[in-house]
Amino acid sequence: MLPIILLSVFGIVLLFLGFLKTRAVLLPAALLFILIALGAGFLEWNKSYLYFGDMLLINNLAILFSTIVLISAFMVVALSGDFLEDEMAQPAEYYAILLFSIVGAMMMIGYENLIMLFVGVEILSVSMYILTGSDKRNLRSNEAALKYFLMGSFATGFMLFGMALLYGAVGSFTLTDIKSYILLSHGRPSLLLYMGELLVLIGMLFKVSAAPFHFWTPDVYEGAPTLFTAFMSTVVKTAGFAALLQLLSVSFSAIYGFWWVILAAITALTLLAGNLTAVYQNSFKRMMAYSSISHAGYLLIGLAALGQQSRSALVFYSLAYSLATISAFGILLLVAKQHTTDGRPDESYSAFNGLSRNNPLLAFVLAVSMLSLAGIPLTAGFWGKFMLFSAAVDRGMVWILILAVLMSAVGIYYYFRVVIAMYFREGQAGRIRVAPFYQFILIAATALTIILGIVPGLFQNIM
Amino acid sequence: MNTTYLPSDYLPIFIQLVLALGFIVGSMIVSHNIGPKRHSEKKDDPFECGIPVKGDARTPISIKYFLIAILFVLFDVEVIFLYPWAVNFKGLGMEGFIEMILFMGLLLAGFYYILRKGVLKWE
Amino acid sequence: MQTDLLAILIPLLPLIGFIINGMGFRHVPKGLVGILGTLGPLVSFACSLLLFTGFGGQTIKVPLFDWITVGHLNIPFAFQIDQLSLIMLLIVTGVGSLIHIYSIGYMKHDEGYGKFMAFLNLFLFFMLLLVMGSNYVIMFIGWEGVGLCSYLLIGFWNKNTSYNNAARKAFVMNRIGDLGFLLGIFMIMGAFGSVEYTEVFEQAAGFPIGDATVVAITMLLFVGAMGKSAQIPLYTWLPDAMAGPTPVSALIHAATMVTAGIYMVVRSNVLYTLSPVTLEIIGGIAIATALLAASIGLVQNDIKKVLAYSTVSQLGYMFLGLSVMGYTAGMFHVMTHAFFKALLFLGAGSVIHAVADEQDIRKMGGLRKYLPITYWTFLIATIAIAGIPPFAGFFSKDEILMHAYQHNKLLWVLGVIGSAMTSFYMFRLLFLTFFGRFRGSEHTREHLHESPATMTVPLVVLAVLSIIGGFFNVPEALGGEARLAEFLNPIFNLSRRVRPSAFGETLLTHSEEYMLMGISTAVAIVSAIAAYVMYVQRVSLPEADTVERPVVQKVLYNKYYVDELYETIIVKPVRGLGDTFYSFGEFIIDGIVTGTGWLVQQASGQLRRLQTGSIGFYVFAMVVSIAAILCLRFFVRF
Repeated sequence: MLPIILLSVFGIVLLFLGFLKTRAVLLPAALLFILIALGAGFLEWNKSYLYFGDMLLINNLAILFSTIVLISAFMVVALSGDFLEDEMAQPAEYYAILLFSIVGAMMMIGYENLIMLFVGVEILSVSMYILTGSDKRNLRSNEAALKYFLMGSFATGFMLFGMALLYGAVGSFTLTDIKSYILLSHGRPSLLLYMGELLVLIGMLFKVSAAPFHFWTPDVYEGAPTLFTAFMSTVVKTAGFAALLQLLSVSFSAIYGFWWVILAAITALTLLAGNLTAVYQNSFKRMMAYSSISHAGYLLIGLAALGQQSRSALVFYSLAYSLATISAFGILLLVAKQHTTDGRPDESYSAFNGLSRNNPLLAFVLAVSMLSLAGIPLTAGFWGKFMLFSAAVDRGMVWILILAVLMSAVGIYYYFRVVIAMYFREGQAGRIRVAPFYQFILIAATALTIILGIVPGLFQNIM
Repeated sequence: MNTTYLPSDYLPIFIQLVLALGFIVGSMIVSHNIGPKRHSEKKDDPFECGIPVKGDARTPISIKYFLIAILFVLFDVEVIFLYPWAVNFKGLGMEGFIEMILFMGLLLAGFYYILRKGVLKWE
Repeated sequence: MQTDLLAILIPLLPLIGFIINGMGFRHVPKGLVGILGTLGPLVSFACSLLLFTGFGGQTIKVPLFDWITVGHLNIPFAFQIDQLSLIMLLIVTGVGSLIHIYSIGYMKHDEGYGKFMAFLNLFLFFMLLLVMGSNYVIMFIGWEGVGLCSYLLIGFWNKNTSYNNAARKAFVMNRIGDLGFLLGIFMIMGAFGSVEYTEVFEQAAGFPIGDATVVAITMLLFVGAMGKSAQIPLYTWLPDAMAGPTPVSALIHAATMVTAGIYMVVRSNVLYTLSPVTLEIIGGIAIATALLAASIGLVQNDIKKVLAYSTVSQLGYMFLGLSVMGYTAGMFHVMTHAFFKALLFLGAGSVIHAVADEQDIRKMGGLRKYLPITYWTFLIATIAIAGIPPFAGFFSKDEILMHAYQHNKLLWVLGVIGSAMTSFYMFRLLFLTFFGRFRGSEHTREHLHESPATMTVPLVVLAVLSIIGGFFNVPEALGGEARLAEFLNPIFNLSRRVRPSAFGETLLTHSEEYMLMGISTAVAIVSAIAAYVMYVQRVSLPEADTVERPVVQKVLYNKYYVDELYETIIVKPVRGLGDTFYSFGEFIIDGIVTGTGWLVQQASGQLRRLQTGSIGFYVFAMVVSIAAILCLRFFVRF
């Protein structure tokens, strides 16, 4: 609760800090604000409170998800030093919007009332539309923003319709009311409830880019400035899955038999679409977009096989995925700046050729994050997949497990293309100068990935 | 609150819907059919204050028009909140007063931001 | 709590040393490298001493964090401090510190000095994990870690191909053993549902003697020990491992790592007590290893090779002790052996240092005059290992032989024969190296010098320990109190419960004990005299490699052709099999792999077409899918 208020105020403060002559204060200020919010969040650890007239529920699960969101945001902001050099950029506004979007994400994580979910989704989405189009001189950025906006509002429409139907059936927006309605209906709840649930699900699945609602993802991720792509693919995804988990586990676990088939089918489709299409890509950034779709697929396994293990598995996987993704985009930012074709940074695989020669650290960081995304042991990604898969085993979903394992094998192919490019291809990559703080963030993310890979219990202890 | 509705309970809504749609469709059809129509070159010409038409209607319009329009809507809508507050002023008491001050403060901060950004400067 | 802190600090300090020296390799100034590298082990040693003095006899568990939780299996990351781990801690950190100090002098001029110290520290870290862990999985991590460090350090001078081959051989042989160990751990998980020592042993104590599961577990674990502690048939890597720098041979391949197998068996003593069959097998393998290695050692001419075979042989003795349930005797020998064998290796290092990296004892001789400290300490170590009272080796070896005598007279006879051989080859080594006249080149002779203080001080300390080490456990027959046995006693409580008969009072009368001691001492002294007569009085020298030898000697000199045997019966067939599989693989596996790859590519190419970039299509696709979902859900029954 406190972080939500703090971040809203800090966002406004940042807007006004933008009027100062020196832009240099913005980055440290934004980082500081996020850290304060992070600390404030833990004040409510081990207490469970309802806020705003039962609109918002803050418990340990919500705090953990918020922490992942805040850590991701912290890293993204920390990697954003370039804004301060760009004349056209408006860092104060970017940072303020980032902070506001975190507020939205935190509402999505801790909502207890569907209205709160809607408000959160909208705050996050609108912020993302703006950030996607923030590179105003770039036509693709504009196109991506418009596409995202149109598709996003379309999906929001469905979600809102679903909520209205739920209200029609239950007479309340509160999750626990929906639950008790289902329990009291003796297995025959109104048809409106089913319709409503499906439509809300569809709206949320769009936000986390699950197939077949994923078409916008590659275009938007590729068009948006790389940094915001990193933000979108981590924060939005984490918040989206937290919201879905909350919705399904609190309200709809009683009618699991109704929705799990659909979710399982969507999981399978997402895994197939994400992994298979990623194989064909030549642009690293676009590959990462498909990879984010495929990871949505893995995370969906945890929801489709909703059970005891789902919570910790989803939290762990989100963290592992966020760490690896942000460091990968961080490296991409650095590398793409080196070569430009037609004034655009080169984001293809070939940009990474021979990176290990002169930049062993960067190559190592990227290699570790690729290994983690591919789910190779001794990285956090491996344990994330392991936990999700064992959740599926608990539910006896063998076929989806087989598909997921096969698709992970496909994933190894496209993730390793980068590693091969870095270590085995000849390239003329010169030494890239990296700011110490930037370097620190990359090393910290890599270290955390490895530590969680070796000692997953460290994190399970916290849960 | 009554949470069990019979389909017949929705009847008033349905009637209203039919009436609204019926009125629009009906009046359009009626006016189209009973109105006299005489075509001539002068009559079919787009009319603009007596000045002959020049160029395309789809010219780019300065973004400032939109900005001002949006800002107007924004502040206009938020001012609406003052009315219910005024009505319930006594009932809401001190707490309501503080909340309203916060709300107005935020609005003013936004207003200051707009001013500093130079959105309202026309030139 | 203070104990917790100490227990965490002990492995942490060498790790910090590794990180600083390893990360800062080539950046840390040379003077600092040695100090940083030695400080960690020294402080660890101090912490171990503090732990030891503050130890109240109660097993202490120091949980750090929950490490892996899968289903019902929970593996915590915790340290266990008890009598056994304390003894090992003292040996590892104590001897380790001395060898680190020695390395400062020995490796200072090597260009990889920093790297060397870093690896040494890393080794110590893993070794400490191995002995401190409170469950088999942590032990396994340490086990693998020391194997890795051993590999890195054997191949430390990696510009030399044969050294690299030696490193690879050590690694592969160890991996074979590790596989057994790992399978053993899996079986433990399956049988007991836990890998924590306390839980496993508590449960195991309820099993009947000779239970098939326990037999299988102990056999598998022993396969791991065979690899790590160089027992037949996995011993050939250890002599080759002498390619590494001498301090490495002293620390890893004599004093600590190779005794990990013994530690593991003693740690699991309950399981082994429950499985007499395994113990019999261990006994057979152990005595065979002891005799085989000792006989090879009789004719070797490389100073380090002799010591390496001697190590293999002594490890055989330790296992012999364990196999006759003389667990304390085995541990006691681990301790004394760590003292005198480290001393021998360091002494050999000092000699090699003096004679410009020459290792052939035929080219040495008469070094007594030039290297007085080395000579005296080497002499002490030789007496100790030969088993002549009152030096350390006598007490520990005697105890093992006594247990063997009680168990099986034949084992005892073979043990005494081995001990005669030990005494002979060690004195042969001593005489050829230090007596007579110098047989190397004139140029080398002029440069003969005693080693610097950083190298001689550890020698002296170890020499003192080799003299007094035996007094930690003087048997009652000699008026001692058997203090080590008393100290270690609680470790074997459970074993005693499952097989009380095996732990009964000794059946030997004091006069019998005196007789046994007398015999082994006499044998050792006679062998020493024989060596004196042969190599000092008659000044006979081993022939050069080219000379034709009598058959027996030839077989011994060529180490029973075991390496060649392995080459023909294992390496070649495996390679052949590999080739066959390879061609098979080319044909079918490749076909499947490329086929799958092609299929994925095709599917990808088709799927990619869906991504048209047109919003109209996207929205259309979305609406169609929503309609499909709703239809599926509401109109299709399943």
